[in-house]
Amino acid sequence: MPRLVHRLIDAAALRDPDSVAFRCAGASLSYQDLACRANGLARVLSQIGLKRRDRVAVLLSKSLEVPVAFYGVLASGGILVPIDPKSPAEQVARILRATGARHLVTEPRKGRLVRDALTGCPEVTHVIGLEPVPVSDAPPFRCLPWTTVLEEACDRPPTVPILELDPAYVLHTSGSTGIPKLIQHTHHSAMSFVEWAVAEYSLTSEDRLSNHSSHHTCFATFDYYAAAGAGATTVLLTPAAMMMPASLAALLEEERVSVWYSVPTALVQLSLRGALEARDLRSIRWVLFAGETFPEKHLRRITGQLPGARFSHVYGSTEVNVCTYYHLPEAGDLASPLPIGRACSTCETLVVDDELRPVPDGDTGELLVRGSTLMSGYWGDPERNRQVLVRRPAAGGFGDLYFRTGDRVRIQDDGNLSFVARADLQIKVRGFRVELEEVEAALLSLDEVEEAAAFAVPDDEGSCALRAAVVVRPRSASPPATQNEILAGLKKILPLHCVPADITILESLPRTPTGKVDRNALKARLTA
Amino acid sequence: MVVDNISNRKPQELEEQILAFIQRELLGPPDTVSRDDDLLSGELLDSVAVLRLAAFVQEEFRFSLGPSDFVVENFQNVAVLAEYVRSATAPAEPPSGDHR
Repeated sequence: MPRLVHRLIDAAALRDPDSVAFRCAGASLSYQDLACRANGLARVLSQIGLKRRDRVAVLLSKSLEVPVAFYGVLASGGILVPIDPKSPAEQVARILRATGARHLVTEPRKGRLVRDALTGCPEVTHVIGLEPVPVSDAPPFRCLPWTTVLEEACDRPPTVPILELDPAYVLHTSGSTGIPKLIQHTHHSAMSFVEWAVAEYSLTSEDRLSNHSSHHTCFATFDYYAAAGAGATTVLLTPAAMMMPASLAALLEEERVSVWYSVPTALVQLSLRGALEARDLRSIRWVLFAGETFPEKHLRRITGQLPGARFSHVYGSTEVNVCTYYHLPEAGDLASPLPIGRACSTCETLVVDDELRPVPDGDTGELLVRGSTLMSGYWGDPERNRQVLVRRPAAGGFGDLYFRTGDRVRIQDDGNLSFVARADLQIKVRGFRVELEEVEAALLSLDEVEEAAAFAVPDDEGSCALRAAVVVRPRSASPPATQNEILAGLKKILPLHCVPADITILESLPRTPTGKVDRNALKARLTA
Repeated sequence: MVVDNISNRKPQELEEQILAFIQRELLGPPDTVSRDDDLLSGELLDSVAVLRLAAFVQEEFRFSLGPSDFVVENFQNVAVLAEYVRSATAPAEPPSGDHR
């Protein structure tokens, strides 16, 4: 039998139909109901003409409809394309166009965003989740309400041949050319991660995972799929709970959460503002974190506040999911800096120089990864695939594909890998990947902006604040553009986490001798 | 001694001050905010903006928020936030008259 992601919920429903798969804002969805509704969506998709491997975009806020949409698309044989629900219309349109999706699953509160986005996407034929509109002002796509899905709910999945090596989903990050990177994973790569995670953290049906991350990120593969692999419950955390740490702490206690996976920022907030002393959080047994460096003082405090929990520093990227991990020792001092650990059982790591030759142990080099959790490639981007997926000899004389992570690392004396730096200009803002060049490209696309440079300033909570400086275009008829005008323009074309917290208007930007914007000089000048 | 007792201000006045700050510092055009808008939906403000809002109300209305005050019930929208500010700045004891 092929290992297919959507079979995870069928298996869990068979073992214990009434066990809770997902919870959100106090409501529950059992594995049986999830499987039936997912089958309902799969049937509707097939009735409206979906063919195997067609892309289906999902644009939903966090709710119990998200898992139905995910598993339903997978069961239909389609390729799932989850879109960041905070994307502006232009970004939604770009992803729809780039993936060639003809079907979109959404919800009434996204109606306006969907209509705005779809004016630029004539190839989208069906939207599930919006009420049909009168023929007189009908849009060029057909709307089917969510009740259609519920009416079709049944325990028989459609019979579509699906291979383990077929694509399962396409995740997106930001991209330097304004088009986000579209990262394609197969059922095989997803299931390899699920199996590793279930085994490494001994997940069982007794576990309750908390979902922090947006469902378009690779973090969500843990919450949505690994949880189902164990028949566990995932508690979807609403944005409100995540913005109010004391409410979040109360929810963690009430929901008896046992496994947490997030960026460090979320844990820092919980630790600083969660009023944890009033809470009984002994149910938490694993805390996984990834994506950014965890400032030592904050990590020390949170490990003290959650004495019953083990902490695990996991490392990876959307391209390869988790590929190394380091469990913090149960007692004793914290290693500083915290290593990213050793390769998961799914992966092999190699540290190489610029010519892709292995460096001596202890030397710094770029990290290469081969393994079963590796993506099949960037969707529709052969050039980028050639850059990052390189074929080279593996041990034993056969060749294999390696992923160039772009991260510089070194092997410590104890065998653990230690992260040194990003090789390029990609930064993390509150756990989101942001490419400085993308922000600059967006700024420069505005009429008012003549020159632009973006840079990151570390905040003391382990994340980065994004800042930018621009030179504005003189206007003959009106005064020059203000910071607010530029920010407003940027918000229309970039997701919120890519919009700088502050934009400084300058007469000119500092340049290096070769004429490139000197980001370091700029940063020094503006943060002095 | 003249004390500007914030808890005696009209609720509408507090709401307007908070709305003006959000509009001016956290949103900018073209987004707008009204007293019943959900500030915590994740679609209007991000987590950093919410922290800036918390910093603003503490400074503007001269009281301090402890960790246990960072709860959904106090920040859901401008109407409840203004009401919370009013109650948080109310004098602990009713004036007895003896010392005034």
